[in-house]
Amino acid sequence: MIQKIKSLFADPRNFQILYLSIFLMYGVHALEWESNAPYFLTIIATCLGVQAIGIILTTKNWHSLKSGLITALGLCLLLRVNEWWVAALAAAIAVGSKYLIRFRGKHIFNPANIGIIAVILLTQEAWISPGQWGSDIAVFFAVGFASLVILLRVGRIDTSLVFLVVLFGLQYCRTVFYLGWSMDHLIHQFSNGSLLLFTFFMITDPMTTPNSRKGRYIWAALIAIISFSVSNYFYFHTAPIWVLIAISPLTPFLDKWLKGEKFEWMIK
Amino acid sequence: MKSLRLISLVLILTLASSSAWSFCGFYVAKADASLFNTTSQVILARKDNLSTITMSSDFEGDVKDFAMVVPVPVILQREDIRTVTAALFKKLDAYSAPRLAEYYDSNPCYERKYMAMRSGNADKMMMFSDSVTEEEVEDFGVTVEATYDVDEYEVLILSATESSGLETWLNKNGYKIPKGAQEVLQPYIKSDMKFFVVKVNLDRLEAKGSTKLNPLQISFKSPKFMLPIRLGMANAKGDQDMIVYALTDEGRIETTNYRTTKIPTNEEIPLPVQHQFGKFYKSLFDREYKKEFGKTVFLEYAWNISGNAGVKCDPCVGAPPIYADLKEAGATWLTSNNGDQWNPNYGKCFFTRLHVRYNRKNFPQDLQFQVTPNTENFQGRYVIRHPASGDLSCDDAQGYLKEVRQRREREVINLAHLTGWERNEYNTYVSEFDKLIEPEKNKTKKGSIFPIGSGSDSPKGPFGESISWKTLFLSLITTLLAIIGWSSWQRKKQTA
Repeated sequence: MIQKIKSLFADPRNFQILYLSIFLMYGVHALEWESNAPYFLTIIATCLGVQAIGIILTTKNWHSLKSGLITALGLCLLLRVNEWWVAALAAAIAVGSKYLIRFRGKHIFNPANIGIIAVILLTQEAWISPGQWGSDIAVFFAVGFASLVILLRVGRIDTSLVFLVVLFGLQYCRTVFYLGWSMDHLIHQFSNGSLLLFTFFMITDPMTTPNSRKGRYIWAALIAIISFSVSNYFYFHTAPIWVLIAISPLTPFLDKWLKGEKFEWMIK
Repeated sequence: MKSLRLISLVLILTLASSSAWSFCGFYVAKADASLFNTTSQVILARKDNLSTITMSSDFEGDVKDFAMVVPVPVILQREDIRTVTAALFKKLDAYSAPRLAEYYDSNPCYERKYMAMRSGNADKMMMFSDSVTEEEVEDFGVTVEATYDVDEYEVLILSATESSGLETWLNKNGYKIPKGAQEVLQPYIKSDMKFFVVKVNLDRLEAKGSTKLNPLQISFKSPKFMLPIRLGMANAKGDQDMIVYALTDEGRIETTNYRTTKIPTNEEIPLPVQHQFGKFYKSLFDREYKKEFGKTVFLEYAWNISGNAGVKCDPCVGAPPIYADLKEAGATWLTSNNGDQWNPNYGKCFFTRLHVRYNRKNFPQDLQFQVTPNTENFQGRYVIRHPASGDLSCDDAQGYLKEVRQRREREVINLAHLTGWERNEYNTYVSEFDKLIEPEKNKTKKGSIFPIGSGSDSPKGPFGESISWKTLFLSLITTLLAIIGWSSWQRKKQTA
C-alpha cells in the first residue's frame, strides 16, 4: 500500500493535481462558486480532449494528460466566464498552444495564462476576479505550504521567492515608506489568494520558465518590476497575468543566453 | 427618529458629540426600527475611465453646520460638479433592496394565486455636521485650486503638499479633523489626490425656499476606480455600513482587493417573519458578516437594466429606474430619442448593489473596483407561503397538510440557519395543522418539534464547537502534507 502511495507521488504533477483540486473544492464549497460548476466541467473535458488529440498526434505519452488536467484546474481557479463556449475556447487555446506555439522543442506560453488572456481579448465574456479568494493570512500559509512540496521537487522555488521578494520590496518602498500607509495595508495585498496562486503555481511552470537558475531570477524579477509599475501607475488590478504573457517570449532568449538543463517530468 | 449621517467619501467634519465619519443614510423596513446603523449610500457610474460619484446627503441638522471633505484624483472643473434630487437614492434603494415574495397555496380544490411584496428599505438617519468659520488663514502648503458655487453649496478644490499643513489649514478654517484622519491624509497627498471641500451658502439655500440639501455629484476622468473609505473610518467607533449602487455599460462591478460574495437568496422562511422582515434581514446580514469574518463585500442585487433587456426585475418591489433616473445618476453614455425620459431604447446599462460593512481592522485598504462582463442577474429574495384557506377536510388535503408541515419544518430550519433565531419559538407555527392530520401519521416527539437543539448547521468538533470550512480545509492540507512528507522521507531512506 505504501509502495503504491509512493509510486503515485513520484510524479510531482500528481501533487499539483491534488492541491489544485483541493483549492477548487474549497472554492466551490466554502467560497460559493457552485454556479460555476458547469464551466469547470467544460474546461476539464476540453483540456483533456485537446490534450488527448495532441498525444495521439505526437508523443503518444499518456502521462501528459496530467499536464492537461493541471492546465484545466488552473483555468478553473482563475478564469470567469459568462458562457460555456468561452470556457471551452479558453481550454482549447490553452492546451493547443502547447503544441502550436513552440520554440526549440519547448512551448513558450504558460497554457492557462494564454488561455485566459486569449478569451479576454477575443470575447467580451471573460474576466479575472482578483478578489475572489479574499485576503487572509491563512490562505497565504495554505497555498505557500502546499506549493512547497511541489516546488522543491521541481526545483522552482527560487522563481516564486525572487518574484515575491522583489515585488514585496518594491511595494514596501512605495506603500509604506513613501506613501506612508501602515503595514496592514501592505500585508493585505500580499495575502491576496489570486496573487499567491499566481506566484506559486503559475510562474513556476517548469516547462515555460527559463532552464537556468540565473535566467529564472532575471525572469521573475522582471515580472515583479513590470507588474509593480503597471498596477501602481496604470491601476491595472490584474497586471501579473498580463505581464507574464508579455514576458514569456523572452524565455527562449534567456535559454540561449544562459544555458541550463531543460526540465523533464520525473516519471518512474 | 434616528439621526442621519452625512456622507463622507472619507472625511466628515463633525462638531460636538457626533463622531460620524462615514457615508450617510441607511434604510429600514417600513414597519421596523432601523436595520443598520451608520449606513451611507453612494451611486457610482463608470464607463471607460469616466467616473461619476453621487453622495447621498440626508442632512437634518443646522445647515450652517454642514461640511464635507472628499479626496478626488483630479482637480474638478465646474461642469464636473452638480446636485441631483434626493429621490434618486430612494428609488434605487427601493428597486434593489432584498425582497420578500409571498405565495398562496391553492386549496387542493382551488387555483393558485401569486403576489410579491417588497421587503422594505431604509429610513435615513442623519446627523450633524460641523461649523465652518470664515477666516483668513495662512498658506500651510495648501493651494486653493478652484472655488465654485454649485446651487446651495460653496465648493473648494484643495491640493496640499503635506498632511500637517492640510490639517492645520482645515482646523484654522473651522473644520475639526479627527485624530485618525492624520493616518490617511499623508498617503492621499502623496498619491496626488486633491480635496473636494464643501459647505452651504445660506443665502442661496434660503432663496431656494428649502432647508433640504440635495445630494452632490462629481464626475472625473481617472484610471482610479475606487471609493476612499479609509478616511471615513477616521473617527468612527465600530462598524459602518455602506450601500453602493453601480451603473456600467458592461456588467457587474466587484471589488478587486476584497472578496465579493452573494447574500443568501431564494430561501423559504416562516410566514410570521413577514411582520419583522427588517429584523430578519438585519439578523441574516449580521450572521453572514460574521461567517465571513467581516472581510467581504456583499452583493445584494445585480440586474441588466439595458433599454432592451426586457424584464427589469422579478419580482418588482420598487419601480425600475427609467432613462431619466439613469442619466441623472451619471450613466452619460445612454441616449434618448428627443429627450424622452421613457425611451426604452436608451442603450446598455447594468445595475449592481453592493453592501459593505467596514471597519479599520478588516478593511485596511480603500475599496478598489473593476467592471466585469458578468451579466448574471441576482437578487436577495426570500419567500413566504400562505397555506390554503377554506375547507381542508377532503381526502386530498391529507397529503397537502403533511407537505405543509414538512415545508414549515424546513422553513424554520432555514430561518435558524440564516439568522440564528430559536427554532422552538415556531413550534406552534409548524404544528398548526396537526389537528387535521390523521393521528397515526403525526409522529411529533412530545415536548419539542426539534429534538435537537437550535443552532447553526455547520460541522461540529469533538467538543460540540462549530468548525468553519476554512479550519477543515487547513486541517486537510496539513494532514496531506504530513502523509506526503512521510512518504518522501520513506522513499529517500530506501534509495540511500
